[in-house]
Amino acid sequence: MATETVMEDLKITPIMVSTPAASATKADKSSVTVSKPIPHTYDLGNLLLIDANPLPPSPTPALLATTARECAQSLLNQLLLTCPITSHPTSGVLMTLPPPTTPIPREKPLPAKREETKWEKFAKKKGIKDKKRGEGKMVFDEASGEWVPRWGYKGRNKSGEGEWIVEVDEKKERERESEGKTERGEGRRERMEKVRRNERKQRNNERKTRKTGVGG
Amino acid sequence: MLRQIKPKNARSKRALAKQEPLDVENPKTTLLLRGTSSSSLVNDLLADLHSLKRPHSIKFTKKNDIHPFEDASSLEFFSQKNDASLIVFGNNSKKRPHTLTFIRCFSGTVLDMLELHVVQETARTLQQFRGEKCKVGVKPLLSFSGVQFESPTPNAYTQAKNLFTDFFRGQETTSVDVEGLQLLISFFAGEDGADGQKAQIQMRCWRIITKRSGQKLPRVEVEEMGPRIDFRVGRVKEAEEGMWKESLKKAKGTEPRVKKNVETDIVGDKVGRIHLGRQDLSELQTRKMKGLKRGRDTDGEENMLELEDVISQDEDEEEDGGLELKRQKIA
Repeated sequence: MATETVMEDLKITPIMVSTPAASATKADKSSVTVSKPIPHTYDLGNLLLIDANPLPPSPTPALLATTARECAQSLLNQLLLTCPITSHPTSGVLMTLPPPTTPIPREKPLPAKREETKWEKFAKKKGIKDKKRGEGKMVFDEASGEWVPRWGYKGRNKSGEGEWIVEVDEKKERERESEGKTERGEGRRERMEKVRRNERKQRNNERKTRKTGVGG
Repeated sequence: MLRQIKPKNARSKRALAKQEPLDVENPKTTLLLRGTSSSSLVNDLLADLHSLKRPHSIKFTKKNDIHPFEDASSLEFFSQKNDASLIVFGNNSKKRPHTLTFIRCFSGTVLDMLELHVVQETARTLQQFRGEKCKVGVKPLLSFSGVQFESPTPNAYTQAKNLFTDFFRGQETTSVDVEGLQLLISFFAGEDGADGQKAQIQMRCWRIITKRSGQKLPRVEVEEMGPRIDFRVGRVKEAEEGMWKESLKKAKGTEPRVKKNVETDIVGDKVGRIHLGRQDLSELQTRKMKGLKRGRDTDGEENMLELEDVISQDEDEEEDGGLELKRQKIA
């Protein structure tokens, strides 16, 4: 509305022609380009425009209106020319913005890192890695060229248990005979012994923590 | 300070979890407060700011005996209690007429403050403007005009620029509805007056109207929507350097990846450097000579040496040499 009043002034006083608001001719009225002595700078992520052109000490309302119009035109031009626009049937026409560049302070500090659990600390100290997630359950078998599980059904820890012919150390075999065992099932026996030993240790650890109240 | 609460049920636990710090933050909430003696103008402007800032805004109506620059502890309490990091405190006194104090908080403590006195003669509220208003909750376009905002040394105007950007930008998003680009909030700062009077910061809100121009880009017109506020800059509390630095930290992995080998030269053209892979020199085309034809390589090294000898001996009669060699190969 302010611009219109100045336009009326223009008809009466030709001196006003030099001011930018008054110099708006018919061709100027439909122009979509904005040219300024100091070009505008943008932060499109924040829909922000910076116009570093100097303004007089007390700018008139008309000058403010034209400046604002130029800013809006320039910013919209920049947005429409540089940002990819996609249209969705439900959410309308969307414009993808670049990340903001103006440094704006955060509301709260960055979230603190999650504290390590007692077990995680202990595992780190001892160099224990998660068998399933760290190493993975499957292992590549060079001989057959296939991936086989480390343990479980057809597990690698059972390899050599089902051999139909085995080499026998006579000395050891004699010892075993005295206990009523043979070379057969020796692998499985060793494996089960390992499991039992681990369970024993686990029980011991549990007992210790219950006594001292300190884990890990 | 707020007492630390240990949640006793799931509801309070959820409520507390909502206030915990995040990597990518939600939009800041604004709290609008009034002092013990705020004028009706200040109250109206607070209401206007509230309507511009909705839905990320809370407005309190009771009077508060607070002096932000003397003691900000109650502001910090309000900030923590309401999980609001932007506060506008309005007050009116003889010494500081029609004052709006903009306060930013970081993790519940005051980061920086800016006191702005509203010029009563020029101030107009949202209601005083006729015409259509823009929709609630749109992300506004912002513009800062004037050299003062671009000062290389930080001053009240650069602080105001950062503060108003923070205040009005709303939600940080990667995409925006084109339909929603209908509000422009512009700030103007002229040069300092000849009589040493400091420049005012003039805030204007415009509704953006786009018209067909016959070209691809639309013709943009603006219509003042209100509020219209001229501010005189009052007291300033700048942010402490350590706190400011801490507040600007960004979570790892949130920054965009730096594009390597792509530059823009002075003209504005994009220049890229591409890796073409290793060149295969064995396929290199050198000077063609009959004696070096590929078919002959298969004969072995001894033959090769002989070939070279022959060639070097009678370079003039290449044709003959070639023929001779052919015979050799057969033999």
